[in-house]
Amino acid sequence: MRSVQELLQQLHEIAANPRARTEQYLTEGKKIVLTAPVYTPEEIIHSMGLVPMGAWGGDMQLNESKRYFPAFICSIAQSIVELGIAGAYRGASAIVIPTLCDSLKVLVENFKYGVPAIPVVPMSWPQNRVPDFGKAFTKAGCERVIRDLENITGAKYSDGALRASIKVYNAHNAAMRRLSAVLRAHPEVGAAARSDCFKSAFFMLKEEHTALIAELCDALEAQGAGEAKTTPIYISGILADSPAFNALLDEAGLSIAGDDIAAQSRQYRTDAPEDSASPLDALAEKFANMNHCSVLYDPSKSRCAFIAEEAKAAGAKGVLLVLTKFCDPEEFDNPLIRRACEAAGLPVTIIEIDRQMVNYEQARTAIETFRDMLA
Amino acid sequence: MAEEVKKKERPPVDPNSAKYKLGQIAAKAYSDAQAAKDRGEMVGWCSSNFPVEIPETLGLAVCYPENQAAGIAARGAGARLCDVSESDGYSNDICAYARISLAYAKIKDAPEQNMPQPDFLLCCNNICNCMIKWYENLAVELNIPLIMIDVPFNPDDTISDAEVAYVSAQFRAAVKQLEALTGKVWREERFKEVMESSCRTSRAWLAATAEAHWTPSPFNGFDLLNHMAVMVTARGKPEAVDAMETLLKEYRENHEKGTSTFRAEEKYRIMFEGIACWPWLRVTSNGMKSRGINMVTTIYADAFGFDYDSFEGMIKAYCLVPNAINLNLARDKRVKLCKANHVEGLLVHTNRSCKLWSGFMYEMSRQIGEACDIPVVSFDGDQADPRNFSEAQYDTRVQGLTEIMQARKEAV
Repeated sequence: MRSVQELLQQLHEIAANPRARTEQYLTEGKKIVLTAPVYTPEEIIHSMGLVPMGAWGGDMQLNESKRYFPAFICSIAQSIVELGIAGAYRGASAIVIPTLCDSLKVLVENFKYGVPAIPVVPMSWPQNRVPDFGKAFTKAGCERVIRDLENITGAKYSDGALRASIKVYNAHNAAMRRLSAVLRAHPEVGAAARSDCFKSAFFMLKEEHTALIAELCDALEAQGAGEAKTTPIYISGILADSPAFNALLDEAGLSIAGDDIAAQSRQYRTDAPEDSASPLDALAEKFANMNHCSVLYDPSKSRCAFIAEEAKAAGAKGVLLVLTKFCDPEEFDNPLIRRACEAAGLPVTIIEIDRQMVNYEQARTAIETFRDMLA
Repeated sequence: MAEEVKKKERPPVDPNSAKYKLGQIAAKAYSDAQAAKDRGEMVGWCSSNFPVEIPETLGLAVCYPENQAAGIAARGAGARLCDVSESDGYSNDICAYARISLAYAKIKDAPEQNMPQPDFLLCCNNICNCMIKWYENLAVELNIPLIMIDVPFNPDDTISDAEVAYVSAQFRAAVKQLEALTGKVWREERFKEVMESSCRTSRAWLAATAEAHWTPSPFNGFDLLNHMAVMVTARGKPEAVDAMETLLKEYRENHEKGTSTFRAEEKYRIMFEGIACWPWLRVTSNGMKSRGINMVTTIYADAFGFDYDSFEGMIKAYCLVPNAINLNLARDKRVKLCKANHVEGLLVHTNRSCKLWSGFMYEMSRQIGEACDIPVVSFDGDQADPRNFSEAQYDTRVQGLTEIMQARKEAV
């Protein structure tokens, strides 16, 4: 059995260097399909023998993308186009972009013109996703993705393969839920390594990632509970993968007891049923059952109470809202999340982060103050 | 001794004029809703591109928070209300209409434009998904039901059967929800009348705005910004039909008589792109008028012109509003307006409040400029937050546009 350190090192290398993984898959003769935030029907891509590769942008200075975006659009969307123009996605056959928020709608159009070499496959999810007519629209959206991918890549779709991929994805969801629970008992792993565990999932076939995460969880459990003296917190937001941000948490002695980060645990809460009439029905059912997310219609704002309950259950002493600048879905939710958490006795702090951020000193002050407040 | 300057008294507005009629309808939208509230009826707040045919057919009084926010901002209170919601933790990056509306839902009084508090909410996201978040928050803050028709952004050049089926089903579900909630009854005959009125109003509006093809234009494009309120709030009402047909008649008469509501020599004709800067309406208007620039067209002309001949046609019309369509279609609509109205320049409002409208505008305006062979200039502003606008930048940009248009004229 490999050591925890060895496994974390491998996950770090994968998370930090998606290009290496891309080259490896391309060398193996596989085709890459990029998947933009927040949700894409990855199971379909996987079932067609294609490799879904997460495209959530990167921490960088934006230059060329400014020809397409005004400054006040989320930097995730902008950096996806920046990376595309810079050739970071070379070799990718297509990009699937959902239109779940206004910045993603804009991304669909700007990517078409900014990165013409990579065809855009839009995924239209319904916001009224629970009634039958909503599920029918989800299915139609999935069928469109299948048609486009067949035309672009020449790969073929089959119900049988999708059923098998749904099992792969459900097993990965379970592995990631287990990971979150195991890491709660191992604060010594730290925020930076925790981020690597989640981020690496975007750059690997899920069956490979499941195996790696299972090995890590087994190794962690085998070495017994960690002894780090940290203050457990719960984090919520879209992204929390910046090395500088995670270093701040580690330096402040704050450990992540649980998260509602869109690029982390939010991806893995809901499984597709394995006994549906058809596998596309299963994906529609899965999407209908997804909830507690800022880009999914939530008229009762159940997300706010959910975060407070999750944070409490995880033993967190406070909630850190990691706000991606210019993300209005999160900006609308945050005042209500704060209220729900404070009513539950959980102190809340908000810090703004951005893909272009180079100076984290303001964030450091806020995080250190937060730590002192929780002490 | 200072000479006493007496203000010129304005002549009373002719009650048979379009201006009077349109003003009355816009004002009546608020007073009718208040009267309904006073009678104990349920009143709704409604997003601007929600199918107006639903509340109109059911006989439900609704108010439009976007119109209210624009009115509040135009009367100078945008910053005051934004401050209220920002104090509650809302980021100043959020749409200023939403910030004003959330503030109003809390303080429930703004002398600049009051309206009754809602008993239910009608939301449609064919303008933006920000609308969903805004109305979710209203529903929670006010603890009232929210009915939402989701019109997905269409990345394609055509509307799919799946989208028509999805939106149609939501339309019917919304009717059932409202019947159960309010006790009002849906009647197909009434629905047909409302559709007829809505289409007639829209046809008159589209025809009136198309009168700008004459040189000089028989109207000042800023008129459209005022008249748009009626298209938003009342296009299904018979009185709106009458008012818009009167407007069309007046514009035609203006052309025949060689007059215009643009009170200056029309030296240049431009398209204005984006929502108006309501807090700076006079400044933005004067910046053009003083240079002889008439804003002869805007996408508002198309945005609220819903003309269709069937239920499916109506659904498609709501799927085709300007912010719900891809860059190709959005560009083509604007190119058509620029060409039809002999536009010589494009002035783009990069609107801090509207991510969707501004988000692919750089590329689209480049393409419009190329397709129409016209100069394109943009300025930074905001539809309702006065803090996001610089008069000096606006003036410089408009001057730059003027100089390019002038040089082009001289080169001919």
